[in-house]
Amino acid sequence: MPDDQSFDLAGCLARVRIHDQIAARQLVEHLYPLVIRIVRAHLPRRVAEEDLAQEVFLKMFTRLEQYQGAVPFPHWVSRIALTTCIDHLRAQMRRPEYRWADLSENEAEVLEAITADESGAAPDEALEARELVHRLLDQLKPADRMVIQMLDLEQKTIAEISSLTGWNSSLVKVRAFRARRKLQKLFAELKKKEGS
Amino acid sequence: MKNTHQAWERLVSAARSYPDERDVKAPYGFATRVAALAMAAERPVVSFVEHFSFRAMIAACSLAAVVVAANYSSIRSLYQEQTPVASDDPVAEMIDLAS
Repeated sequence: MPDDQSFDLAGCLARVRIHDQIAARQLVEHLYPLVIRIVRAHLPRRVAEEDLAQEVFLKMFTRLEQYQGAVPFPHWVSRIALTTCIDHLRAQMRRPEYRWADLSENEAEVLEAITADESGAAPDEALEARELVHRLLDQLKPADRMVIQMLDLEQKTIAEISSLTGWNSSLVKVRAFRARRKLQKLFAELKKKEGS
Repeated sequence: MKNTHQAWERLVSAARSYPDERDVKAPYGFATRVAALAMAAERPVVSFVEHFSFRAMIAACSLAAVVVAANYSSIRSLYQEQTPVASDDPVAEMIDLAS
């Protein structure tokens, strides 16, 4: 959610609708933190975050006439950002299956520590853990990846995800279930390869 | 299965602890560029041109009708003057002879 609570969103939107370029710039500046957080969280590899953010904003302006006010404007923009990210993730070439040999030395150490003991990764290994999570998430279908990302990494509730994506809660649960099953399979395969 | 789930939980917990300190403010010039692109794209250039093309067509048709009406007698006489010329045609003369 954008930080600036004093921002007159309704007034700004009204001015944007009559092609006020200054209002359009203010709207972009206001919504940028919201959009860039979504874009960074669901950014496909080899896509620049700024390019994707620009695409989201241009879609927002193009579809502005369709906004009826049924949901808060930031939620409506979030949905545009999420669907744009999903489209890019779908367009991304399907990555080959992830193998133990593909892990960097640090990532392999983190995975070993995670799977071996209860304590988890050391604080200085958080970056490797994050990279490892993203590599595993890359193996999932874009929509499933998005649900797990929001549930497990951003710790959003089913209701919040439903509100942000526009998917009903049953669909979110189904996607989460499917994604977790796939992740378990990926984990099991990695551990098997580690052992061999 | 349970172990795998716990391992995933520990992994995402470690991943969450990585602080994302990247700036969330729009880069310099980003908002201006996007607003300019959006406003340029939004300007209904095609409908503007279409609107004026249609008006121009109506004006042109009206003008043509006025010109024809104003010069109707001249046009008609010109047409009538052409009829005797046609009678100079040997074929027409032959037809006239035959009739």
